[in-house]
Amino acid sequence: MAGTMLVFDPVAPRDGEPGQSSRKLDDLKGKVVGFIDNGKPNFNHLVDDLAELLVGKYRVAAVMKRAKRGPGVPAPDEVIKELCERCDAVITGSGD
Amino acid sequence: MIEVPERLDELNRFFDERRWSDGLPVVPSTRERVERMLRQTRRAPEETIARIAPVFGAATVERIAINAVLAGCHPEVLPVLIAVAEAIAAPEFQLQSIQATTHPVAVWIIINGAVAGRLGVNGGGNCLGPGTWANATLGRALRLILQNIGGALPGDMDRATQGQPGKYTFCCAENEAENPWEPLHVERGFAPDCSTVTVVGAAGTVNMNSHAKDAGDLLRVIADTMAFPVGIDYVYGGEPWLVLSPEHAHVLKRDGLSKAGVKHRLWNESRLAAHRLAAKDFGRTQNARRAELGEIAPDSLLPISVRPQDIGIIVAGSAGTHSVYVPAFGGISRSVTREVSS
Repeated sequence: MAGTMLVFDPVAPRDGEPGQSSRKLDDLKGKVVGFIDNGKPNFNHLVDDLAELLVGKYRVAAVMKRAKRGPGVPAPDEVIKELCERCDAVITGSGD
Repeated sequence: MIEVPERLDELNRFFDERRWSDGLPVVPSTRERVERMLRQTRRAPEETIARIAPVFGAATVERIAINAVLAGCHPEVLPVLIAVAEAIAAPEFQLQSIQATTHPVAVWIIINGAVAGRLGVNGGGNCLGPGTWANATLGRALRLILQNIGGALPGDMDRATQGQPGKYTFCCAENEAENPWEPLHVERGFAPDCSTVTVVGAAGTVNMNSHAKDAGDLLRVIADTMAFPVGIDYVYGGEPWLVLSPEHAHVLKRDGLSKAGVKHRLWNESRLAAHRLAAKDFGRTQNARRAELGEIAPDSLLPISVRPQDIGIIVAGSAGTHSVYVPAFGGISRSVTREVSS
C-alpha cells in the first residue's frame, strides 16, 4: 500500500477466555429445570406458566425457581451453586 | 502490528470503518509512541491487568497503552490507566451491567493525591468541562478501552437508549486544597500521601445552583434534587454522588457538619414516598428491597441508599454557587478505589 505505516491494533482478541460449551440434553423427561427470576415484574407469572408446561407436557421431574434482586445484578453465589448442583438445565430471562 | 494509511484523514477513515474509535479522530498508535508510554511503568507489556466485560478481552499493559495513545494521552498517565483498569474489573463494579445496559451510565474517574497535580488533572474550574488535556484524554482513553478491549460498541453490546456526553470522557480530580474535610481516598482508608483512582457508574450530572448560606437550607434543596421518582437509586438502594463546590462545602463545614454528618442528613431528608414511583417501578422496588426494608407500602419512605455512608461526596470546582448531583446506577454498581503505582 502506497503511503502506509504500521500501528498497533487496539482491539483485544475475542477468544481470550477458554470456552466451555454447555451440555446438551436429549430430552427433558425426568430432568430438573431451574429458573432465575430476574426481578422484573411478571417474570414470576411467566415462570409459573412455563413450569406447568414443562411438568405437564414434557414430563420434567421438578422445577426450581430462584430470584435475584434485579436484572442488572448477578444471582447470589449460593443460588448459582445450588442450581449448578441440582439442575440439568437453567433458564434465565426477561419478563416485563 | 497492522498496516494503515499514512495520511491522517485516511487513517482516521480506516479506524472509523472498523469502529476502533469513539467517533473522534485518533492519534496513530505507532511503535514509537506506544513504547514511550510503556517506559512509564515497571510492569511488563504482556501482563494482563484485567479482563474487560462484556467480551472479557485482555487488558494487557500494552493494549492499555495503545488505546491511551489513540486517545491522545501523554505517556505519564499510563499508571493511572492501569489502576483504572484494575478498578473497573472489580466484581462489585459490575462492569458487565454498565457496559450493556440501556441506562446512560458513564464511567466517571475521580483522581486523588499527588498524581493529580503531577499530571495536571483539573479539580478546579470546569473540571467536568473542557479545556484540560489530562481530564479529556484520560476519560477518552477509558472509553476506547471499554469499546476496543471490552467490546461494548454502541448499538451492539452497548444498548444505551440515548447514552450521555460523559461516555466520551468523564474524569476529574478532587479539589483537595479547597476541601474542608478529608479527601475521598483518605475517607476510604488510603494514606493521605497515596494517589488513587475511583471509578463510579454515573448516570449523568444535574446542576444545583443555590445561594443558600445556611447549612439546613442548602441540605434541604440538595435533598430535594436527589429525590426524583425516576432515579433508579430508589429502586435498588443506590450509591448517589455529589460534587460539592468549595463554597457549598464551606457553608456546611462552617455550620459544624462533618462529611459523615452531611451524608446522614441528606440520607434522611432525601427519603422518597413510595407512592411517587410509577406503579411498575413500585413493584420493582418492592421486589428488590424487601430483604432490606421489609414490606413496602405506598406511604413508606424509601432511603436513596442502603446506608447513609453509601452517598458519595467529593469537593471540586472553583468559585460559584454550583454543586453537581450525580445520580448513579442504583445498587447495581459500587464505586471502586485503587491505588496508583508505577
